[in-house]
Amino acid sequence: MSAHDHLDGQLPHEPEKATLEARNKILGFWIFLGAETVLFGTLFSAFLALRHNIGDGPTANELFQLPMVFAATMLLLTSSLTSVFAVQSLHHHKKNAMVGWLVVTIVLGLCFLGLEIYEFWHYVHEGHGFTTSAFSSSFYTLVGFHGAHVAFGVLWISLIIGQIFKKGLTVVTAPKVYISAIYWHFIDVVWVFIFTVVYLMGKVGG
Amino acid sequence: MSSNHNHSASGEETKRHKVEGPQKHIVGFVMSLALTIIAFAAVSAGEINPTFTYIILVAMAVVQVFIQMAFWMHMKDRGHTFPIIAIFAGVFVVFTMVIMALYWVWW
Repeated sequence: MSAHDHLDGQLPHEPEKATLEARNKILGFWIFLGAETVLFGTLFSAFLALRHNIGDGPTANELFQLPMVFAATMLLLTSSLTSVFAVQSLHHHKKNAMVGWLVVTIVLGLCFLGLEIYEFWHYVHEGHGFTTSAFSSSFYTLVGFHGAHVAFGVLWISLIIGQIFKKGLTVVTAPKVYISAIYWHFIDVVWVFIFTVVYLMGKVGG
Repeated sequence: MSSNHNHSASGEETKRHKVEGPQKHIVGFVMSLALTIIAFAAVSAGEINPTFTYIILVAMAVVQVFIQMAFWMHMKDRGHTFPIIAIFAGVFVVFTMVIMALYWVWW
């Protein structure tokens, strides 16, 4: 019995794990996430080491506005919930509901990105440019790198939606949805540390 | 949608499966929300000893991340031994790097 038996017939239970290839993809993706953890860890350690070296620029306490950070946090947290709903719809084999939740996830991700771009624009106008200080460089590198991950996630999930429309929900497309949801949760998990370490600790240690 | 679809060749033993509801994810969301609000409130309130605030912040973040990884990233589900090894290998390296960076720069 090969994987292709599922292609035209009924979807198996948990279609994202029905084939060996799919399970290998998921495992490989987790190993990638382990490496991503290290990547973000290097940026966090650089930021933690340099965050008090503000040079002539503004301090973290002067710069950060908690309401905006809280709004961004809510957007990303909610988008993480909607992407887990997409995976649940996948388990129920409800294609349209799944695509709907993925679209909501993307829209929330775009709102988050818009807020972050506005935030960076605002900081630059406050005299907090990329080259202002060691604090500003490590801040933009860390938070910007996370923002780039969000942007990539939005693009990736959009492409997967396109593929779902083209090929339908199969044992080939289901793992892609599952893996992109894992990626999206990972982005949210990284954000938990960013709002804690960068923004909240910046306010305290300001 | 018969749930006892046999795909034993895939290595997974067939099992009678009831598809999970959204309840536990909503519980995870509410818990994450509460932990986030506690963290923001601890900072907004001010007046708290900075060291104590740091401890609260780190504790809230770590608990929230464990909740999200367990429920939303399905790490509590079976068959996640290698994902757990991969992530904790990463976390171990990160922990070492952060300690080293802070130690070398500030002490």
